[in-house]
Amino acid sequence: MTSTRIARTAVVAGAVGVVVLTGAGTASAESQVAEPATFTSAFTVMATPEMVVDADSAPAPGQPGAWGTFMYRINSDLDVLCYDISITGVTPPYQSPAKTATHIHEAAAGKAGPPRISLPDPVDNGRGRMVSSGCLQGPFTTGLAPTGTDTGDGFTLAQIEADPSAFSTDVHTTAFPAGAIRGQLSQVPTGGVETGAGGTADDSSSGAPLAALGGSLALAGAAAVAVRRRAVRS
Amino acid sequence: MRSGRGGLLACCLALALSGCGGTAGTASGSAAAGSEGVPTSAVPSSVVPAPPGALLSPAVVDPATVPAPVSVAVPAIGVQSDLTELGIAADGSAEVPEDFDLAGWFSGGGRPGSRGPTVLLGHVDSTAGPAVFYDLRDLAPGDVVEVTVADGSIARYAVTGSEQFPKDQFPTAAVFGATTEDVLRLVTCTGEFDRGARSYIDNLVVTAERLP
Repeated sequence: MTSTRIARTAVVAGAVGVVVLTGAGTASAESQVAEPATFTSAFTVMATPEMVVDADSAPAPGQPGAWGTFMYRINSDLDVLCYDISITGVTPPYQSPAKTATHIHEAAAGKAGPPRISLPDPVDNGRGRMVSSGCLQGPFTTGLAPTGTDTGDGFTLAQIEADPSAFSTDVHTTAFPAGAIRGQLSQVPTGGVETGAGGTADDSSSGAPLAALGGSLALAGAAAVAVRRRAVRS
Repeated sequence: MRSGRGGLLACCLALALSGCGGTAGTASGSAAAGSEGVPTSAVPSSVVPAPPGALLSPAVVDPATVPAPVSVAVPAIGVQSDLTELGIAADGSAEVPEDFDLAGWFSGGGRPGSRGPTVLLGHVDSTAGPAVFYDLRDLAPGDVVEVTVADGSIARYAVTGSEQFPKDQFPTAAVFGATTEDVLRLVTCTGEFDRGARSYIDNLVVTAERLP
């Protein structure tokens, strides 16, 4: 199945998964891009089995013991989405009528809704988690077109920024086709924090580079961000 | 009490004011010591990687079901402050307290007793001098942070490490990404001060884990 092939060909460590175009003959699909310098918004998700509902919006609990953390960073000016996904306890194989089984749906909490973005499915990182990360630029297609039009058609990332809680993310498997885990998007701040204005705490040492990012702040997922303090120029 | 701490504190302040950067060494030392053996924030200590089907689900508590944090105290550096609620500015960045002597809490994240992270933000200084989180860089692993929540109970955390990041490479996922753990993070500014922009180029993030 297409989604299984994607899972096998995606590179594990911090790489972008392979996105396969469907042969539906509709508009072009998303493309892999480099991470932009800045983002206009960021969203995190704690996905659990308790939040899954079926197509009729009835509770359909997913895989017991599974959970996942998602970070979505958006640059809506460029229509770029950078995703960092880490899931635990979800048993493959994936299954979905869309081109992958990992989605962002336009669906409020407790409600069903169509997928708008289809992301590369997480793959085993060899340490007990399944991860997926990378950056995609729209327009986005899901490969799902129940009425003849792809459910990603006309969708832009600015729509997520306009109403984040109206969007959910989930992962679908053969055992739990309605979803193994699911959670709503929750906005978090993006960029650095402006907490200081006086200059009295200036720390201008040309310093020894800081210890590499320690375990206490390890990123969920394989996409470790380089966080070494840049050299100070005098 | 740490009788030697007062002397060390004065030394660090003097160095900071003169820009000698002794505190940079302190911060990296803390990070190195604190990060060893600390479980990653993405994997709760109660979950051990195991074959599928054998995992135990961590108790993921919805923040909305527990009381909001209302004040913070850090005895080791003499911090005591109410917490103001902070959200997200129009440009997507973090709101910060208007009052430099008041710490704040990102109200869109976690809370003590729920899934994390609980993120507290405070200024390091103002044009008038040191602000509420001025001495954050002096925290060492094991220092206790006490967060009082709305029902009067106190959640206690122990510092596990401090890390410094350029603001233009701020690790949003590492600091604000959802985690099943009840973890606390305190954020302020540090590093070189850009006088043209009146802004520090780095952020300091202190991580603390919940004590039973």
